[in-house]
Amino acid sequence: MPPLGRFARPLRRLWKIPVAREVDAELAFHLEMRTREYIAGGMDPAAARAEATRRFGDVAEINATCQDLGRRRDDEMRRAQWISELGQDVRYALRQLRANPGFAAVAVLTLALGIGASTTIFGVANAVLLRPLPFGEPARLVRLFGVTATTDQFSASEPDYLDWRAQNRTFADMGAFMMRNVSLVGGGEPEQLPALGVTPSFFRVLGVRPLAGRVFAEEEGRPGGGDGVVVLSHGFWLRRFGGNHRALGQTLSLSGASYEVVGVMPPGFESVWGADVWLPLAPAPTSVRADHGLGVIGRLRPGATAARAASDMRDVAAQLTAQYPESNKDYSVRVVTFADWLIGAELRARVIVLLVAVGLLLLMACANVANLLLARAGARSREISLRAALGAGRGRIVRQLLTESVVLSLVGAAFGVAFAVAAVPVLREAGADSVARINELTVDWRVLTFGIAASLLTGLLFGLAPVGALMTGSGGGGLHGRLRSGARIVGAGRLRAALIVASVAMAVLLLVGAGLVGGSWMKLTRVDPGFRAGGVLTAQLTLPRVRYPEVERQEAFYTEALRRIAAVPGVRSAGATNIAPFSGGDTGIPFTVVGRAPTGEGEALEASWRSVTPGYFAALGVPLRRGRVIAEADGRRAPKVVVISETMARRVWPGVDPVGQAIRVPRDTTPWMVVGVVGDIRDQALQDEPVALMYLSFAQVTWPSMWLVVRTAGEPGAAAGAVRREIWSLDPTLPVAEVQPLSRLVSAAAAEPRFTMLIFALFAAAALALAVVGVYGIVAYGVTQRRREIGGRLALGARPRQIVSDTLRHGVGLAALGAVLGLGVAYALSRFLATILYGVAPTNAATYVGVAVVIVSCAALASLAPARRASRLDPVQALRSE
Amino acid sequence: MADSTELLHGTLDTLILRTLSWGPRHGYAVARWIQEISSDALQIGEGSLYPALYRLERKGWVETEWGLSETNREVKLYRLTAAGRARLKVELAQWREFSSAVAKVLYGT
Repeated sequence: MPPLGRFARPLRRLWKIPVAREVDAELAFHLEMRTREYIAGGMDPAAARAEATRRFGDVAEINATCQDLGRRRDDEMRRAQWISELGQDVRYALRQLRANPGFAAVAVLTLALGIGASTTIFGVANAVLLRPLPFGEPARLVRLFGVTATTDQFSASEPDYLDWRAQNRTFADMGAFMMRNVSLVGGGEPEQLPALGVTPSFFRVLGVRPLAGRVFAEEEGRPGGGDGVVVLSHGFWLRRFGGNHRALGQTLSLSGASYEVVGVMPPGFESVWGADVWLPLAPAPTSVRADHGLGVIGRLRPGATAARAASDMRDVAAQLTAQYPESNKDYSVRVVTFADWLIGAELRARVIVLLVAVGLLLLMACANVANLLLARAGARSREISLRAALGAGRGRIVRQLLTESVVLSLVGAAFGVAFAVAAVPVLREAGADSVARINELTVDWRVLTFGIAASLLTGLLFGLAPVGALMTGSGGGGLHGRLRSGARIVGAGRLRAALIVASVAMAVLLLVGAGLVGGSWMKLTRVDPGFRAGGVLTAQLTLPRVRYPEVERQEAFYTEALRRIAAVPGVRSAGATNIAPFSGGDTGIPFTVVGRAPTGEGEALEASWRSVTPGYFAALGVPLRRGRVIAEADGRRAPKVVVISETMARRVWPGVDPVGQAIRVPRDTTPWMVVGVVGDIRDQALQDEPVALMYLSFAQVTWPSMWLVVRTAGEPGAAAGAVRREIWSLDPTLPVAEVQPLSRLVSAAAAEPRFTMLIFALFAAAALALAVVGVYGIVAYGVTQRRREIGGRLALGARPRQIVSDTLRHGVGLAALGAVLGLGVAYALSRFLATILYGVAPTNAATYVGVAVVIVSCAALASLAPARRASRLDPVQALRSE
Repeated sequence: MADSTELLHGTLDTLILRTLSWGPRHGYAVARWIQEISSDALQIGEGSLYPALYRLERKGWVETEWGLSETNREVKLYRLTAAGRARLKVELAQWREFSSAVAKVLYGT
């Protein structure tokens, strides 16, 4: 014991003597001896005493100094002792773990699972809910949406926005924004940038100052007040200018116009809208009031609530409706806080449910390790009684046991945090497209603190179980008496059994959930979208209006580009559409059938539409069912044609051949002739049934921004270079975006179900492992407790097989009880899963049976080891053991 | 006495360590030894011995235990630790160096 060495011997004596008495005695002894010496030398006692004192110096002061020094010495000693004892305890604990590698491995694994899973999920909650938004006073920020009869997420028109801003009484200010992608030319390949047109008030409302330079001035937000300035995001500034401040004042060529860089925003600001650059937006009161294109944000006045702002805005909207009934009929305004808008009540609830579930998981881990420790405490009661007999105090033994469990939990935490570090990138990837703010998921100090705090708490919690058992066990003579007697430590056996049954039930619940969600994900990945995604390359082009103002020029560009791409070796066919499948967009239009009386309200016909080139159907692999597809002949001056999907044919013309029929759409005097029927496709969500869809001729409905769809003979990625080259041979400054295999878009459509499945799988695997450990723990404990009984039975001639089957029955019985409970609860709760399931009934029998089989056989396996150990007990030893 | 105490302050620790190097003894015995080996020439304020002892104990150079005095009284005994012994060696070496340097200055070579 090196650190304590110098104190070890004096400790026992010195410990209890107060410093004051120690010093008094020492000094008094000195004075007395000196006095005696003087008396022996012939002085009279009084003079001798005086001389001794004089010679000594200021007794009171020296006494005080010594007491002070002595007290400090004692404090240091106590501290040194405490640390040394802690060191001893920790070393002893580690030795204990090394001596029982099986126990240590199982316990550490259990804790690693519990702590790892909970830390990971806490990380998700941290990223989604806890990390502050990168804005000033985010609690006062709201989004304003238009509300119509059919949607409550509608945009605002420019005049409406200006009126909202002018007439409200609850907002400090409002700002508007509009998505506005631009192409950047100069310096490498042309690039398409996500850009946002914003009013000057936009930045002020968000309460964010630029990192460098300035944001837009008020006059830059007035119509005609000046375009030509741009604010950069931090990420774009780094990427394009290497973070150089000389970027300010430089010029960028965006979509054919030049812009002066006036400011750079701080990092993280773009995370919400994902824009690279911000351009001035100038809403005009003269714009069409029915043309809705603006997103609106607002900052509430201090003290104003979202509810008050909502009622204020409803009044404003009602007044506008009265004033402009034509455009604003049935049009109102909704106010949503940023927290609700960005995260959403549903996601928040899901994360909180996850946190609760993970808390339960952690409790399961605690219960299991507590059981393991209890099982071992039985085996260790002799060792502990020996230590008690050798003079270890009650507090010292408790401390030792708690230290052991905390050491255990810290080792578990180390593995658990490693687990979280490994799991986090997987979850971030999986959730990237479907969970808000998940891109901020990292193991930061909050997550680490959580993991360590959770493990310490766990350690103390499960460490208390054996300590509690020691303290409350039956038998007289206090703790020491009980320990010396070697009495078996009896705990609340029933409580432990209940814990195990509950943890099995929970594992069953999670397994059923994982089975159902996993099953529907598998179904989903096997859904036939109605087209062949394999072997198709996509690319997205946006023709800048500056250089392609007329539709003829746009049409000419795409026709020539597709002709050249189709001629590339290895390309089978090439087509274009305004919206590629699963690219996240949709366009719809109401229509009427020619020769049919208009139907009543609410039954208005509506269909999604796509503008496509003739090659599109072949390139995508959509089969023709009847008639023909769009042809070269369907040009601008030819009769308008439409190709419809089977669902549309069935809905609009049930039992009738639709080819030759015609429809009318608003604001077009000429009818549209149905010329063909093609197969249904799913292009919004894999789990949604195909909707009524119609295809229009690109030459008749020309669109400046299109997706190219290129079917290749080989791997689609191999054609990417050639496609880019052909486009740039036509227009070297045109950005080519979203160059990727179509299959990637399709699999991204399954991202959210995959994320849900991953989370469920994570939980279920952890819960299953914990349940198995739990069953093992309790069966092993039972065997330890019943050593005498088992030994007796063996001595009386019981067959080992009988012992094995009895022990197995114990574990399997508990598991079966848990399974029945869990299946019951799962059955009752499964309907809540219905919304996220696809193609699998929430009560899918195969899943339930499978889970029951899995859990019971796992429990049987877990019981096998202790059962065989029991059957091999030496009866003589077992009977003598106590 | 005050003057010599000042002068001796740094050397007092060395003297104590030296004294204890011959075996454990109580505070009074330490005082007597210093008095004797210095033939009373090094007169110290005797009381200042005790704070010095407590300081040395905190530094870990001496340790204490309770034992019996010559007069059969329970007294606190001081004993040199291994660390104290090492310290003493260092200080003796320093002293030798210092006194030879002083000698050189005073007598020349």
